[in-house]
Formats: sequence, structure tokens, C-alpha cells
Amino acid sequence: MTDDVEVMTATDSAPRHLAPGDVGLVAPRDFVCRQPFTFKSGQIIPGFTLRYETYGQLNATRDNAIVICHALSGDHHCAGWHSPDDRKPGWWNNLIGPGKAVDTRRFFVICANVLGGCQGSTGPSSTNPETGRPYGILFPFVTIHDMVRAQKLLLDHLGVAEVHGVIGGSMGGMLALLCAVEYPRFTRRVLAMATTGRESAQAIAFNEVGRQAIMQDPAWNHGDYLREGGPRVGLAIARMMAHITYVSDASMDRKFGRRKKDGAVGDAYTFDAQFEVEGYLRHQGQSFINRFDANSYLYITRAIDQFDLAHAYGSLEAAFASIEAETLVVAFASDWLFPPDQNRALALALLRAGRRASYAELSTDLGHDSFLLESEELYALVRGFLERDEPYVFDYSI
Amino acid sequence: MTKLVEKRTVDMQIIGDWVEPGTRVLDLGCGAGVLLDYLVQTKQVSAVGVDLEFNKIAACVRRGLAAYQGDMTDFMRAFPDKHFDRVICSRTVQELADPTAVILEALRVGRALTVGFVNHGFWKNRLNALLQGRKIRNEVYTTEWFESRPANPVSVADFEHFCAAKGIRIARRAHLAGNWRTPCRALPNLLAGYAVYDLAR
Repeated sequence: MTDDVEVMTATDSAPRHLAPGDVGLVAPRDFVCRQPFTFKSGQIIPGFTLRYETYGQLNATRDNAIVICHALSGDHHCAGWHSPDDRKPGWWNNLIGPGKAVDTRRFFVICANVLGGCQGSTGPSSTNPETGRPYGILFPFVTIHDMVRAQKLLLDHLGVAEVHGVIGGSMGGMLALLCAVEYPRFTRRVLAMATTGRESAQAIAFNEVGRQAIMQDPAWNHGDYLREGGPRVGLAIARMMAHITYVSDASMDRKFGRRKKDGAVGDAYTFDAQFEVEGYLRHQGQSFINRFDANSYLYITRAIDQFDLAHAYGSLEAAFASIEAETLVVAFASDWLFPPDQNRALALALLRAGRRASYAELSTDLGHDSFLLESEELYALVRGFLERDEPYVFDYSI
Repeated sequence: MTKLVEKRTVDMQIIGDWVEPGTRVLDLGCGAGVLLDYLVQTKQVSAVGVDLEFNKIAACVRRGLAAYQGDMTDFMRAFPDKHFDRVICSRTVQELADPTAVILEALRVGRALTVGFVNHGFWKNRLNALLQGRKIRNEVYTTEWFESRPANPVSVADFEHFCAAKGIRIARRAHLAGNWRTPCRALPNLLAGYAVYDLAR
């Protein structure tokens, strides 16, 4: 997911966090599970923490929860502001809030940083209680399945009896689908966007280049580095490359074209950043290393690569056979990382398995990250799926 | 109700009479899901619609219907034989680029196929064409030539000939008069305004 989601401009007179439709100031909380957690790999940690945020109120029947699942580089902060001085709100602030498509007046919205992450949840940068140092690559291998199980423990802890809907884009879509597969009675609706039941070779290849950039950086040191150090060059390169896969040729061309950076004149007989797109990617890499842990990047990309519903359950139809949730899959025409065909395959398999599933496709040219788009069409679709009209009354009086 | 919505509802009721309760139904060219909503409410069918337009899918989702955005032939190819109890192709068949392929594929994935269409051979259409010498325009064909999609109008005689040529069995047929309400009992190619066919292999 890219960092440069367009933020609605606010006037100076009205603080942005007080704007209508905004959840306002929010604070993350920690769920500390003190029970040992056994990963799919068989490895065990003595307990774990998930950092999460919630917006809205859980109702009396405890069945109005909406779970938001973030993508590879996302986190639990999906709406609102941590402080009035924040440069940006949560990453899906355009979708979530009072009166918005995911209406916090109606729903209790929960978003947790995944297990294996580095934004407050337990992951490779957390302290290994046995050594007093960061786990590094001694951290157990994480799967999407492990992330979903840990998230379910949080939902149980919060007293959620039934999830009204699980929503996620990209890797978040994988979590959302798996939640319905693993907890069929618990999960009423799944909204999976720009996702896949398993990555293509190309997507795995991109992740591998990112991992190699990190692991070939001498500062990686086999995953053993201090929190402030580590393979900053490798991680920045991984991010620059991945960023390209989140957008599209057309959107990059529109945003940058061949424009030169300020001060760059004439022919360039230098390897300094000459084009705006170069400066932009360098900035993306630099800002990423200040907020993301390189080992987490290795673990989570590996989890995404390993995710294969058809292989894990025998076939996609077998995976979906027990789902009780209604599912809506949304793809974006210009997404070449998890292209429409891979999203369609999910909806078709759900229908073959006799489940209730819909598929819609938006024709944006913004690439994979289109799911973060400010689009009234997308908002109406999401709201319609979560809230639904009153049954249409047929008039037979003709 | 406008005249058009009225006609749409008549079409729905005929098709509704043929649909068995609780069956699995596929609607090709489902639009905003009016027919499927009706079948779900009156026959408790398990329904899915296919349409090309995002806004139509969004309307179906708002109604709580399952709908798939995409090409109907590609959609059907993803399903095994006889997956659906009934496939419905209501007022869609005249818009298809390759009607034979769609109908044969629908007969593969469905145990039955219901096709409903406006009879282009209806006498008023013939008269209109003869006298005006222009694209037919009336309450059914509402648009000017220059604002119309390409269409491949079909008559009762065309459709019966198609079924015979392809060896498709006609299990039931319903012809409605020009008012689309009273049955048309004679000379349907001339006197029927609307036709509904139930097909099987």
C-alpha cells in the first residue's frame, strides 16, 4: 500500500479531526494475550500483543462489529487522527466514519496490526523473552492463518459475538476470506478487494526481489540488528520497487510524466535524481524505513506468498464449502499485481460452491492501490453491501 | 407505474409461474435485479445475476442479491453442466453478439432455459417499418437510431426456426397479445407482442 493517499484538504478554521464524518481523535490500545500461541509451523511463543483501534460502539447483541484488515505495510490506524497536528489521518479515513460508507454510528469498527507486524503488535522486532533481544529471524514463521487466529482471540476478548462484516484489500482481503473460512458461523459478510486466493509467479517474484534487497544488505546481519539500525538501504529499495507494483503505468505517467526535479536543467550527466519520479520513489523508500521493520517485511511478504487457499483445502470450492458469509469481491481493472481475473476466480469458486457471492469491477487506472480510492461508486457499493435497502415492495396493482 | 414498468412486471409474472420454488436460478443480463428480487421474494430461489455494468451490480448488492459483473458466456464457462436449475434470458437475447453460443452454453449449465423477447414480427412493427421507412419507434423501441445500441431484433418465427435448426426442445411457450397481458392464441408471429419460451436440450 502506498503512503500518498490523497487527504481531503481542510480549511484553517475547522480542525480536520472535527470535520463532519470524521471519527476524530483516536488512540490505539493493546490486547495482551498471555496464553502460549502455537503457529501453523508448530513453533510457539509464550504470548503476544496486538495493537488495535476501535471506532463506534458495540451494540447490546454484540453483532455490529466490522473488522478492517490491513495490507502488507498497513497498520491498525485506519481512521481518525492521533493528534490534531497529524499530517494524515488513518489510512482508510475516507471510507470509515460517522455517516461514511462504513458508518461508525451504526457499526463497531475494529482494526488490529497483524501478528508478525511492527506497528505495536508482536513480531520479529519484539523482544524475545528468552534472550532479552529482538527476536529477529528466531521469530516463528507467520502465516495468514496465524494472523487470522490471533485476530479472532482479540475479537473474543472484545466480546464480539458475531462479525457483521470483515473488510480488507490486498493482503487484508486474504485475511477477510480466511476469517469466513475458519469461522463460518462467526462471519456474516466478507468484502475482499484487490486480492487473490493465491499469488501468481510474478507477484511472488516481486516479493522475492524485495526480500533479496533486504537480505543482501550487510546491515541485515542475518536478521540480527538493533531496532534503530538494520538494513535501511535494502528496505528502502524493497519499498521503492514494491511501490511501483501498487500503481499503474497510466497513473505514474499522469502524476510525474518525464518532468524534471526543480533545479535539474539540460541533459543529466549525473546519477542524482533528475526526474520527479526518482525523487518521489526515494522519498517513499526513506519514509518507509522510519516506520517499518525489515524483518517484518520478510515475514509478512513470505506469509502472503505462502497463502494458497486451493492448496490448503484441496480446492477453492472445498475451502469455501463451509462459508456462511455473503461475499463481495471487488477488483480494479488496472490492478496488475492482483488482477481482476484472480479476484473473479474467487467469486466464481464461491458461486460454484453454492455460496452467495458477488463480483464488481471498477475501471480506475490507479492500479492495485485503487481500493483506497476516493470514489462515490465504491462507497455506495460498500454501504449497500453492509446496510442493504429495505426489501423492494412489488406493486401488483396493474 | 409507467407503461414500461407495467410491461416489465407482466414479463416477470409469466417467468415466475415457470420457476420452481427453492431452485437455483441464473439471470443473464440481470440489470438492477428486479426480476431476481421478485423470484427471491415469491419463490425463495437461490439467485445470481450477471451484468456488464458496475452500477447494475451495485443495485443488486443493495437489494441483497448475488450478482457478477462480466461477460455472461465467460461466466457460464466457469460452471459445470446442470449447475443451475434454470437460466433466464429476459429481454436480453436481442442484444447478444453471438446468441447461439450464449443459448447453447445456457442449456449446458442450466436444466432449463427461459427466453423472453419482444416479438419484432408484431404487426404494428411491420406497419411502422412499412409506413415510416425508419427505425421502429414506439413504447418498446424507445430510442432514436443515433442513440440506440446495436440490436439484433428477433421474431417468434425466427426463434422457432432457430430452435428447430439447433435441435432444441421447446418445453413451453407463451405468446402475449400486443397489450402483453391477454394470451395470443393465433398467428403469434403476426399478433403476439411478447413471447416467452422454456427450452431444454
